[in-house]
Order: sequence, then C-alpha cells, then structure tokens
Amino acid sequence: MKPRSGSNKVVPLLRALAALSAVAILACWISLGAHMGWSQTRVPVQRTDAVTASTFTDYEERFLPGVDFLVAGLLGSAAIFALTLVMPNSKAGTRR
Amino acid sequence: MRIPSATLLVVAAIFCHAQAEELSFDFKDPRGVSQVAFSLDAPLESINGTAKGIAGTVLVDPDNLSTARGKIVVATKSLVVPNPIMRMHLLSKDWLNARSNPEISFEIKKVGRVTKKSADASEVEVTGTFTLSQVTKEVLTKADVIYLPGKLGETTNNKIHGDLLVVRSNFKIRRSDFGIRAGEFLDKVADEISLFVNLVGSAPRKI
Repeated sequence: MKPRSGSNKVVPLLRALAALSAVAILACWISLGAHMGWSQTRVPVQRTDAVTASTFTDYEERFLPGVDFLVAGLLGSAAIFALTLVMPNSKAGTRR
Repeated sequence: MRIPSATLLVVAAIFCHAQAEELSFDFKDPRGVSQVAFSLDAPLESINGTAKGIAGTVLVDPDNLSTARGKIVVATKSLVVPNPIMRMHLLSKDWLNARSNPEISFEIKKVGRVTKKSADASEVEVTGTFTLSQVTKEVLTKADVIYLPGKLGETTNNKIHGDLLVVRSNFKIRRSDFGIRAGEFLDKVADEISLFVNLVGSAPRKI
C-alpha cells in the first residue's frame, strides 16, 4: 500500500482525534456522576452537627462536570471533525 | 446598721437571677454549622447556595422568648453556589453588588406568639426588618428556637462553657421587592427566593 501524502495523512488523524476526544469527554462525564446540571467546582454535601442536630451544607472542593462541560466538549470534537471536511485535498465530501 | 448576712445572700441570689435571665447569644459560628441556604428556580436546575459569613448578637431570656431582640448580619461575599461563574455573576454589580452592599441583615422588631413545643424548644412568630441591596422590608416569619443550656462546652472541647441557642426558620422573599433586576431575566432566574435559616448562637458563662 502506498503511503498517503500531504493533508491526506492529517485528515484521518484529526478524525480519530475528534472521535477519541468525544468518547473521552463522554466517559469522563459519565464516570464523574453524569450530572445533569451546570458544572461545579465545589460539590455540596449534607452534614449533621452532633450537638445541635442541625443539618447543614458543606462543600467538597472537587470538579463535577455538568451538561455544559459535555456539550462544550462534544461541540469541540464536532468542530475538529468539521475542519476535516473543509481541508484541502480532503476526499471526505466525495467518498463514502 | 448591720445587715444580716442571710439578707445579703437573698439579695445576691435575686441579683444573680436577674442577671441570668437575659443571655447575649453571639451568632458568629467558627464551626461553620450556622448558615442561610437559598434556593430559586432556574431552567436547567434550581440555583442553590449558602451563606456562612454570619455574625450578630441576640439578647434572649430563655424563659421569656417574647422579649428577644437583636440583629443577624450575613456577609454578602460569603454567598456560595457550586458553579464559580454563577457565583461571580451573583456577587457582581449587576445582581447583589457585594462590594457596595457588603451585608444582608435581619433585625428582630417584635416577637409575637410563642408556642412551647417541649422543655427547651418553642415556635415563635417573629416580625423583623430584612435588608438586602440597601432596601429594607418588613418580614413576618415563624422560627423554631431551641435552647441548649450547658451545651457550648461540647462544641469547644470544654474550653469554653455556656449555652447554645439554635434558631431555624424558612421564609420567602422576592428579588423584585429589593430592586434586584426587577422584572428582568424571569425566564432564567426566578423572582421568588426561598431562604432556609439555620443559626447557632453561643452564650459563654463563667464557671
């Protein structure tokens, strides 16, 4: 098989990168809790004070990705893929 | 004239009792249990947060809660929501303007009906003035008050002895009443704000 030349090499690489990043972002979002709200950098945790029996909210300093993270990540992957469609010498538009 | 020592003792006892009737509870809580939580509706998820920068003093006679008076102050910049960008917007000059309005306060004006629930717990009707963004409105709410004599030591590893007063109350306000983007962004940020107050005050005593 002859090696491809110029952007013909870059196009499949970029498409692989787009697919990989989409999968990684989806996996990251699911594994960290699949939070359906906005991303959080401090996560509320309910605690109870033993002396007063009061329940109060404390925060854990950690990142919880939300749907904004998911959408932004998938849009970024889609943008990389879209870039390959408009690259010169790309045959993506003509080939199936 | 010689005053009998028994009379002196009685006078001293009455004086001490009168002094002990009204306690000054400091609501600055270094343990972080005291907080005011807030919640308001928004399209993706409700906006929930807390404020822990609480200070203020309330004078309370545990045997007669109707005489309670004082003021609770919350530092505006202590408001926290889990999303950092949302917090930045919340404290910005477009919303709470934390720099110009550093405090949110509630001052007790009148304590109405007191209903005893148990030996140390009562429900009280409180009328007070709520100040937010330099606008003051009268608020009527109910609060659960729990007096815990001698419990301060348990929160300080017995370094300081005294009493605790727990106050819990829920009430609602409207941001439009306080001139916070009145009539604006109602599809994104609800007008009605639910407040969940959970305060612990301490009154140290000398042993």
